[in-house]
Amino acid sequence: MRMKSGAGCKTYTTERLSAFVDGELTPAEGAAVRTHASGCPDCTATLADLRALVTNVRALDVPEPPPTLWPAIDGALERRERFAWLKISLWRPLGIGALAGAVAVVLVTVTLPTVRARWNRAPAAPPVQMAAAPVSDPLLHEAEAEFAQAAAAYERSIEKLRALLAREEARWSPQERTRMAERLGRLDEVIARSRELARRTPGDSAGNEQLFAAYQQKIAFLAAAVHRGGESGEWGKPGGRRP
Amino acid sequence: MDNASARMPVKPPTTPMLGATAQLSAVDGLQLGPRAAAAEAQVHAPADNDAALIAAVRRGDAGSREALYHRFKRRVYALAVRIVGPNDAEEVSQEAFIRIFRGLEKFRGDAALATWIYRLAVNAALSHRSRRGTGPQPEADDDVDAQVGAEPVRGDAVLRVRIERALARLPVGYRTVIVLHDIEGLEHEDIAQILGCHVGTSKSQLHKARGRLREMLAADGITAAALENG
Repeated sequence: MRMKSGAGCKTYTTERLSAFVDGELTPAEGAAVRTHASGCPDCTATLADLRALVTNVRALDVPEPPPTLWPAIDGALERRERFAWLKISLWRPLGIGALAGAVAVVLVTVTLPTVRARWNRAPAAPPVQMAAAPVSDPLLHEAEAEFAQAAAAYERSIEKLRALLAREEARWSPQERTRMAERLGRLDEVIARSRELARRTPGDSAGNEQLFAAYQQKIAFLAAAVHRGGESGEWGKPGGRRP
Repeated sequence: MDNASARMPVKPPTTPMLGATAQLSAVDGLQLGPRAAAAEAQVHAPADNDAALIAAVRRGDAGSREALYHRFKRRVYALAVRIVGPNDAEEVSQEAFIRIFRGLEKFRGDAALATWIYRLAVNAALSHRSRRGTGPQPEADDDVDAQVGAEPVRGDAVLRVRIERALARLPVGYRTVIVLHDIEGLEHEDIAQILGCHVGTSKSQLHKARGRLREMLAADGITAAALENG
């Protein structure tokens, strides 16, 4: 848009005069505008308009933020940080678990022909030797260490969630605390069975996967319970009900 | 936290307005030299304090986040009010400050802290606006008319409302530049950094914005004489 400065004068655009108001023209250009405006009522009026406009715009009130703004920001930051570690804690063991799972798959793929050959050569060999033999493999030791590391990370996440939940539980009735303890007890039983299965079948990633699934189930349950706090809701199920 | 607010640079004091009747004597006084110096001070002077505050926030010092909030709350909120309107300003300010605190770890100090914060605030406001597909909500005509009819009401209060209303009707690009330059007192170099444009573009947008605003106010019956008498 090329708006002329005044009704009659077409020498300078309003934009050019605005630039003059801000001192953006070169000294020669500024002098030319000054000389022109001294004899041009239109441009003088436009300059006066612009200056008055700028002055009034600059004098506009600075609105005061509502007192609720900082508590809202602080609360939002706290919520984000509260669950950020959980996110990290969940992903880290999952990543380690995935790595360990990949190692296990490679191990099984590589060792399977050897194992089959041994079976073919010694069909009468007891199964316990099959289970025990791969343990001596350094790669299997490494994979087991990765599994143990992932399990420890899950345990740490569960401990943190339990600590958070303990604060929430203080507000619950004895019946609610009892029901929570029962459900956690059942989850612990599943974890214990899975751990035993994993212990009995070293080199078999299925056992560890079952253990990790049990850990994840408990973490999801605890996270939902912590997140929902005093709200009604069955933990782990959106829109559910508290025990 | 009021101490932090007290240290916040303020806009330079306004000078009495000159009307259209002021002829050549007004022309010589039109250039706004002092404003540039004041804006420079506003953006760059608290660099040492900013560095200390950033370090405190990064260390997680108690109260440091709140101190940073109080230092910049008026600027962020005022910007939000004028870009998205008063109804959504709180939500946008909250989003802007969350972006600020999350991004502070990565802030390298290439720009002044205030400039960087303005950039995040403008981005939050423009993102919000594009999501909602709405501009700011100008004061309703009834509100203005009520103020006009109310007694006692100072004329400049009504004028301010009318200017705010005209500002709200400006295209968002024009409005953002005029808010950053004429209201917040930033230099075009800073505005160019904030908006990711050339300095010349910022200047051009500003002068066009003023021209459009002048037209709107004139259509609303507000001329320099009215501004002077306001």
